[in-house]
Amino acid sequence: MIKQIQAFLTSLAIATFLLVTHTTITNLIWLNSINMPVDLGVVVSSITTDLVGMNFRGAFPAIGLIFVGLLVAFVTARVISIWSGMKKTYLYALAGGVALLAIVVLMPLAFYHLDLIAGARTLAGKAYLVFAGMIAGYYFGGHPRSGGSNEIN
Amino acid sequence: MKLTNVRFLWASLFFCSGLAASSDDSIQVDVLAEGLDHPWGMAFISNEEILLTELSGNLRRLSNGVLNPAPIAGVPAVMYAGQGGLSEVLLDPNFAENGLLYLSFSAADTDLPKLNRLNVIQARLDDNTLVDHKTIFQSDPPRKTAAHYGARLAFLADGTLLITSGDGFNYREMAQALDNHFGKILRINSDGSVPEDNPFRNTPGALPEIWSYGHRNLQGLVIADDGTVYEHEHGPKGGDELNVIRPGDNYGWPAITYGVDYSGAMISPFTEQAGMEQPIKYWVPSIAPAGMTLYNADMFPQWKGSLLIAAMVPGDVRRIEIQDNKAVNEEVLFSEFGRIRNVAVAPDGSVILATDGANGKLIRVSAKGLNPEVPTGEVDQ
Repeated sequence: MIKQIQAFLTSLAIATFLLVTHTTITNLIWLNSINMPVDLGVVVSSITTDLVGMNFRGAFPAIGLIFVGLLVAFVTARVISIWSGMKKTYLYALAGGVALLAIVVLMPLAFYHLDLIAGARTLAGKAYLVFAGMIAGYYFGGHPRSGGSNEIN
Repeated sequence: MKLTNVRFLWASLFFCSGLAASSDDSIQVDVLAEGLDHPWGMAFISNEEILLTELSGNLRRLSNGVLNPAPIAGVPAVMYAGQGGLSEVLLDPNFAENGLLYLSFSAADTDLPKLNRLNVIQARLDDNTLVDHKTIFQSDPPRKTAAHYGARLAFLADGTLLITSGDGFNYREMAQALDNHFGKILRINSDGSVPEDNPFRNTPGALPEIWSYGHRNLQGLVIADDGTVYEHEHGPKGGDELNVIRPGDNYGWPAITYGVDYSGAMISPFTEQAGMEQPIKYWVPSIAPAGMTLYNADMFPQWKGSLLIAAMVPGDVRRIEIQDNKAVNEEVLFSEFGRIRNVAVAPDGSVILATDGANGKLIRVSAKGLNPEVPTGEVDQ
């Protein structure tokens, strides 16, 4: 159980880090494109600031949204895995992707089509965040479960 | 419906709102109308006759303190959603002769109904009906979002019309490009044509209506007698700005800002950059500035020359003293009325406040003994 919690928290950290850094980096790429002075120091300080800001200072904590999304998705995937013969890494990757897809699609529907996560404003941005969820899910699905077989199906 | 006249003692205003600089003890507060559905814009035909818009799509008339129960007919269908709807009403400088007025509103795009645009029309007020409509501006490109329209209107002394056009929220980077109307102040003639001397008229790829750019959600626009153009705009989480606008200038959004995104993310690590203008004042945290007027009347001489800004958060009016195009002092007024959507000065010098929301009120603040003999509180609706 502890290992599962550790795996879940790690997958949560992966998804959160990828979401936050995506928002930061895409923003900095645009700023650089209009000749704003973006250097390595700005990149590092911006990522650090956003990791704190988006998780602890915003109107909604990114890590909280992802926590709820991944929790629901992984529990659902666990139930499905009882009947499904799908490889667990793929199943949880799919679940992680669906969790992030739900976040980036449902949030604008609740706020007059406003994408409150800046990195999710474009289709490519949404796709990337879904991919980030899949990576997090893939990690979780590939992690050995305590009290069960270590074999990865 | 007979409503009770609301009269607050000046002493309570003094203690509740911190009106330290206003020592007059004879302020009178009257509710002119209530039950208004998200009042937004105001225009004074005379001291006794006010036009006001409701975001939901009605243009209302208040005559001699009585709200006409029938909205003015002939107002175009608007898209009432989010922050969109019927926004500004502005009288033509020659309204007394030609009866023309201007409305700004959001409406679905005719070809792509899932998208919408900011529209400005000219129409003539004939009794209680708008006639002779003419669309003089439509924002381009259309947008998916129902937020950040700007939608304020003001006439310059040369008779050209300024339009504020917000960044549409999702399209903030487009405020820095000149090929679109997001995050811009636009200048057109009252017939919709483009003045010859607009700053980007001859710039390849630029839309000729653009007068200034790099704005967010501009909901306050005032032209001073000396021609100075004051504009305020909502920042995101912090970073509301008061600017002096000069044609052709870039006001920086979102490349420079004093605010952060609602998500907590940085919008930009920069607050200054060469070639981008600084505000004459900014607010962190936000006050949600939603309307502005310049007080130049005699009823409250201590306020003369000040900008009055409606602040929705926490809900008050900010009086900004200006000297040499710099904001030198800020005073908080009227903090007991809740979210104030707009503030205007009536011809007699009294201050008219519009409170925000589905049960919005129109409130007149006047000096006791100087207020006009206009019946108040009689609302028939």
